[in-house]
Amino acid sequence: MSAAGIEISGLRKVFWQATTGQAVVAINRLDLRIAPGEIVAIVGQTGCGKSTLFDLMIGLEHPTEGAIRIDGKTPYGDFNDFRGKIATVFQQDRLLPWRTSYDNVRLPLELMGVAETVQRERSMHWLKRLGLENFTNAYPHELSGGMRQRVAIARAFVLQPEILLADEAFGHLDEVTAAELRGTFLALARECGSTAILITHQLEEAIGVGDRIVVLGKSAALLADIDVAQWPRADHAVLREAIQATLQNNRPDPRLARGRPDGAAAGAPPASA
Amino acid sequence: MHPDVHDIGRAGWFSRQAVVSILVFCVVWEALSYLAPTLGIPAFAIPSFTRIGASLAKITMFDVVVTLARVIGALVLSFVLGVVLAMAMYRSPRMESYLHPLVRLFMAVPVVSWILFAVLWFRGVEFRIAFVLIAVCGPVFLVDALDAMRGVSKELRGMMRSFRPTTLQYFTKLMLPAILPGLITSWKINLSLAIRVVTIAELVGAVTGIGHQLAVAQELFSVADVFAWTLVLVALLFLLEAVVARFERRVLRWRP
Repeated sequence: MSAAGIEISGLRKVFWQATTGQAVVAINRLDLRIAPGEIVAIVGQTGCGKSTLFDLMIGLEHPTEGAIRIDGKTPYGDFNDFRGKIATVFQQDRLLPWRTSYDNVRLPLELMGVAETVQRERSMHWLKRLGLENFTNAYPHELSGGMRQRVAIARAFVLQPEILLADEAFGHLDEVTAAELRGTFLALARECGSTAILITHQLEEAIGVGDRIVVLGKSAALLADIDVAQWPRADHAVLREAIQATLQNNRPDPRLARGRPDGAAAGAPPASA
Repeated sequence: MHPDVHDIGRAGWFSRQAVVSILVFCVVWEALSYLAPTLGIPAFAIPSFTRIGASLAKITMFDVVVTLARVIGALVLSFVLGVVLAMAMYRSPRMESYLHPLVRLFMAVPVVSWILFAVLWFRGVEFRIAFVLIAVCGPVFLVDALDAMRGVSKELRGMMRSFRPTTLQYFTKLMLPAILPGLITSWKINLSLAIRVVTIAELVGAVTGIGHQLAVAQELFSVADVFAWTLVLVALLFLLEAVVARFERRVLRWRP
């Protein structure tokens, strides 16, 4: 498996409200490049268009203008070309309640038409990696929230996808479980070499996971594109405050200019990307 | 509802309350059968259990099997037709906008009218009965399946689509298992509906089956025979419901 790069150019998504007939601009001309194998956290306040961006990247929605290209192809237009290449982890586990943990994990392989012996081998491997080997025959309602999310993560990794997308995947869990799962997710994503994008509204999560943090304002305006490597652990509190200020004021905080040759906080991706 | 009432409702057929109520009914019936002449009621109107037993002993299995086959055959056809049409309507809102008014119209037509249409339009007895059963039960399956499909959560649909399944995979791996509880409920409703409809249809236009035997019993003024065949119908319905319940427990064991 090789990781894929993502190029978002002039992306605009407008929804029409059926009741009022008014246009709602969810994303207004977003430009972003994500290099293959990069782990990027996208942060923004509720309603800033993060989830719309997520749906556009998976190919469930089509852009009103502009494009998302993954290795030159569009996830919506070339929908079927991405079979087995994109995997997702959602806020809710979204497990099929009539399937056991094992059957949920092997679902993507089943859809790909992979041989049953391979399905078994790979599903069991990922269930073990996520510490679920004793719960392979458990139905989702028999598992805790954290365990269900582990199954959902195993289901995403079983494909060994080129692109991994997580939408508020750990936000609903308690802090200890969320931190543990974040760590596992990060380690596995690095091990697989997938390009991973985590959409979150939690700054701690974004700082702890991403190589890069993309801060989105209203209508998904790019407020800051931060290279986390430029921020030593001791400065993470400052980084957190700067991102918070950026989100609150809906404009880049000057402190975020660190490490950028042009001194700018937003716009083009950082030099390392 | 008072909790005790709820408990009695769920107590099942072998509960003390059920046994007592059935026993009381039987005792009252038997007493009435002996007292009928003195009350000015003709003796044949309330036959004793001895006479009903004699009628039960004369039950022809052939007619039971014929009725059962008609019910199951027509239900399977209605089910397939209903679910396939529901899938097509789910996939195509335009098709739904055209078909939905027709389905509602079909559902509003009384069973007796369907039977009369069948008698007037068709010659073959089997075809007439199948037509009536499909016309009555098919729309129920269709509406229930369509409602269940619409009830599948947006989240699960999004998750499934993100893995890019084929149309067939989307329906077999997501939609069908998701709507199965609704379909089983629909089978339960349609079973009792089909037993009633097939009996009326056989009563009017068939020369075999339980409905036909009921018509014969009516011509002979034999309440004992009517009672016996009715018992068979009720037993048949309970048997079919038990089969569906067993299937339900088996396939929906994933439910908490």
